[in-house]
Amino acid sequence: MTAVDEVPELDPLIHAPARLRLVASLAALEDGDRISFPRLQKLQDLTAGNLGAHLRKLEDAGYVDVEKTHRGRTPVTYVCLSPRGRQALADHTAALRALLEPVTRTSADREVSR
Amino acid sequence: MTSPAHDDQPTAQPDPRESLALLEAERSRTARALEPDVRLVYGVWGVAWLVGFLALWSSATGTGPLVLPGPVAGGVFGGLLLLAVVVTGVHISRRVSGVVGTTSTQGAMYGWAWLLGFGGVGALTASVAMAGASPEVLGVLSPALSGLVVGLLYLAGGTLWQDRAQYSLGVWILGTSAAGALAGYPTNYLVMGLLGGGGFLVAALVVALHHRTPR
Repeated sequence: MTAVDEVPELDPLIHAPARLRLVASLAALEDGDRISFPRLQKLQDLTAGNLGAHLRKLEDAGYVDVEKTHRGRTPVTYVCLSPRGRQALADHTAALRALLEPVTRTSADREVSR
Repeated sequence: MTSPAHDDQPTAQPDPRESLALLEAERSRTARALEPDVRLVYGVWGVAWLVGFLALWSSATGTGPLVLPGPVAGGVFGGLLLLAVVVTGVHISRRVSGVVGTTSTQGAMYGWAWLLGFGGVGALTASVAMAGASPEVLGVLSPALSGLVVGLLYLAGGTLWQDRAQYSLGVWILGTSAAGALAGYPTNYLVMGLLGGGGFLVAALVVALHHRTPR
């Protein structure tokens, strides 16, 4: 949890446009849903290599859960945003909103607290 | 330009306003891509009911724009319903393909409710026919039972997904089916076609207009 008077930081992992799109897209899934790698790839219009690389970074940070399973004989990978990833996106969104408000009480408070 | 309080922000970073817009656009784009387009579903069923029931009514009364021999009208009706089933099934399975979990379980259970409901309608209609019901009785009973199942399932769907348009359509279909049955054979075909099919088309239009309003 972040302290009340702390302005949330921009998350560099999410801030890159390609990963921002990816995380936003995953956030559109309902709670308890996962999406297959090929469907996500089609939605995001990325190459398999690109999507895989972005997902690995997000998985390393604990932002996405990747589940490798089999459907019949073919291996399928399912992806979803982890609770931590959802929180990271919420914090990032709050940070972006805070940046758009030029004068805020929170930024003044922050200067005092430093 | 008002510069944000964060002077430690790297200059190469995307603009926060653009980032927020991108985020919101991507989230809603994905949500839309994964959920069935009810405009298509209601539209297909609206046309099937409107044309199919009007064909039945015309051939039973010998009036109207679609006077066909009885079996041909029945074939048109059945063919249109079958087409609507196939279009709906293919569309929904495409939209939800690759997504597993809570939603797909919910969708599968709801889909089975339709199948089981219409299994029941078929069995009931057959049992009444075997008990010696006349074509007139079957002509009233079969559409009324089907309308009852459709209406109730739309009430259930509207409740499940908190979809007021779907719930309202359910109420309308229930009312139409009851009114049709009370009007008797073959006027019930006219009622089901115009009010039932028309109701689907109006629902499709309402949803389409609602989609177009900026969010």
